[in-house]
Amino acid sequence: MSEEKLLEIRNLQVQFNTDRGPITAVKGVDLDVYKGKTLGIVGESGSGKSVTALSIMRLIPDPPGKIINGYIKFKGKNLLDMSLGDMRTIRGNKIAMIFQEPMTSLNPVFTVGNQIIEVLDLHQSHLSKEEKKNKAINMLDLVGIPAPEKRIKEYPHQLSGGMRQRVMIAMALACEPDILIADEPTTALDVTIQAQILELMNKLKEKLGMGIIFITHDLGVVAEMCDDVAVMYCGRIVEASDVSTVFKHPFHPYTKGLMESIPSFDSTEDETKARLKTIEGMVPSLFDLPKGCSFQDRCPEAIDECRGKKGPPLLEEQAPGHQAACFNPLK
Amino acid sequence: MSEVLLEVKNLHKRFPIRGGILGREVAAVNAVNNVSFKINRGETLGLVGESGCGKTTLGRSILRLIEPTSGQVIFNGKDITAMNSDEMRVMRRKMQIIFQDPYASLNPRMTIGGILSEPLDIHKLFRGKEERRKRLYELLDQVQLPKDTLNKYPHEFSGGQRQRICIARALAVQPEFIVCDEPVSALDVSVQAQVVNLLMDLQKDLGLTYLFIAHDLKVVEYISTKVAVMYLGNVVETAAAAELYGNSKHPYTKALFSAIPIPDPARKSERILLEGDIPSPMNPPSGCHFHPRCWKCTEECKVEYPGITSLSGTHDFKCYNPIEKGQ
Ligand SMILES: Nc1ncnc2c1ncn2[C@@H]1O[C@H](COP(=O)(O)OP(=O)(O)OP(=O)(O)O)[C@@H](O)[C@H]1O
Ligand SMILES: Nc1ncnc2c1ncn2[C@@H]1O[C@H](COP(=O)(O)OP(=O)(O)OP(=O)(O)O)[C@@H](O)[C@H]1O
Ligand SMILES: [Mg+2]
Ligand SMILES: [Mg+2]
Repeated sequence: MSEEKLLEIRNLQVQFNTDRGPITAVKGVDLDVYKGKTLGIVGESGSGKSVTALSIMRLIPDPPGKIINGYIKFKGKNLLDMSLGDMRTIRGNKIAMIFQEPMTSLNPVFTVGNQIIEVLDLHQSHLSKEEKKNKAINMLDLVGIPAPEKRIKEYPHQLSGGMRQRVMIAMALACEPDILIADEPTTALDVTIQAQILELMNKLKEKLGMGIIFITHDLGVVAEMCDDVAVMYCGRIVEASDVSTVFKHPFHPYTKGLMESIPSFDSTEDETKARLKTIEGMVPSLFDLPKGCSFQDRCPEAIDECRGKKGPPLLEEQAPGHQAACFNPLK
Repeated sequence: MSEVLLEVKNLHKRFPIRGGILGREVAAVNAVNNVSFKINRGETLGLVGESGCGKTTLGRSILRLIEPTSGQVIFNGKDITAMNSDEMRVMRRKMQIIFQDPYASLNPRMTIGGILSEPLDIHKLFRGKEERRKRLYELLDQVQLPKDTLNKYPHEFSGGQRQRICIARALAVQPEFIVCDEPVSALDVSVQAQVVNLLMDLQKDLGLTYLFIAHDLKVVEYISTKVAVMYLGNVVETAAAAELYGNSKHPYTKALFSAIPIPDPARKSERILLEGDIPSPMNPPSGCHFHPRCWKCTEECKVEYPGITSLSGTHDFKCYNPIEKGQ
């Protein structure tokens, strides 16, 4: 079965000017998003996940930020070459994004219904007022908000965190986008509410057939939500493949370390608990990255080459369809 | 035989909500409701539950950082809720707390040396210059930070390092008991594991007793001897960590475990999806507070809060329709 590629990102580089000088937050990222598939991006704080997502939406604040290299092709057209006007029609209409903090991205002074209708005003202006209102009710119903006719008249502060996130999803899906970017959509929620939202997103993906980029730092969420995964570290993708392949056989020591540092429930009774495996040290600052591989100081597998003048390792095919950026990949 | 270090008996904390120009009480939150448990010396009681269920309030009430409304806290055989402020000051040395946010809990204008010395000054410990310096180095060594840390400021450290500094500050006065209120929740996964290991090593080396609060069940299950599950102010189930996971009796516990995403794509978890949201603690449902979301709810659940059922004295739960084994 041939897959329809919706988004192709190559060599994306994003720089920020800061008080302490310029930093490159994203350093040559390649990603593909397919119709009906979910791509997970995992990585620790500051690894460049949000900057990558905001680049796709062309929402990097400039200044201090700038996309300095690469392309982002949506259905063959480079978004980075588009006029701001064209980009505005893409945003929301074709590619929509939901953010981590639902309260800060909803407008507190408008009702939930008006906010969805506003999205429709921008992108589906051919609809009549009545049609828009009905569509807003339908969207709230679709995301599982009970009594939607009543809820559209309410304000964001009258809703719980889980409901606000549902409203955000409803707004993002109102125009039936081809791609949905979800930047840690459940991180601020409790686990039982997170479970509801993840289930909802999976259902909607099946129903609407869009491509999803799902950003998270939770490998459990990746395992349950995603078809493909890209692991980021210090602005680079260090490993990428389909989810089951990466979990079964990670090539990059960072991926393996991340997987091992999560406690599991499997320890049986009475067994004295083994220490958790950890990754030594901490994520280096973007201001003083070591020469060579950014992970070298924390890596149990590091060899001379990793610290060498060759620069950082490139993302290369280690097995069919499975790439890793590592000079000494795991066997 | 293990010795009980801390016993909490029928602890209750009620926050009045005042409104109007007269500041009359218009409502109240029963943040902690009739909670009882024991912690043995050298062991860890894990406390889990979703946002707003009362974990922090319970932890702080035990230390009397918040005055409990009623109930007793018995530490080392002494009822600390009956102590006056002088007696309490002496007691505080034995009972410390570590907070979730290592950024907010360190004074940005003080050096780490100053931060670690403060509790020693308050309790008049290690007063000679040489003795003081030796103690500070010992503390840094215990939390695995280098000696030159003393002259630096909080902003020069990462989240994980700051949490180590907070742990060192709690250890400074040689406590027996530490309330750890979400000590790793704000940290990245790879650093989380380092701090969890450190807390477990310190427990072994120094014989510490912990109340470990978190919403991450995986971490709690890992670090705890026993685990208590809270829902809207009530402890609904308590058991040894492995027993709680393998033989959950309360439907809420079962749902909480099943909601956790498992990092194994080959395993399809059988998920229990709870309906609806967590109700407001200001206006909790009648009877068992969990009943509107519970798939095993019967008429009696709506009327009166269930009492404690105890299995072989070590596994307690409050439920009329507990889950049968293998269900
Ligand atoms: N507006 C900005 N100005 C300067 N630096 C920025 C800006 N936005 C992001 N950065 C830097 O870019 C890097 C990547 O940030 P990004 O927000 O993409 O991380 P992330 O992977 O999304 O992390 P988190 O998990 O914490 O959300 C960070 O070092 C951050 O400090
Ligand atoms: N000082 C206060 N005055 C009034 N209500 C309070 C006060 N402190 C806490 N509460 C309420 O008591 C309840 C329990 O709060 P608490 O902070 O103990 O929850 P928690 O379980 O620690 O939640 P989280 O996981 O979000 O930290 C909440 O409903 C909260 O709003
Ligand atoms: Mg981010
Ligand atoms: Mg709390």
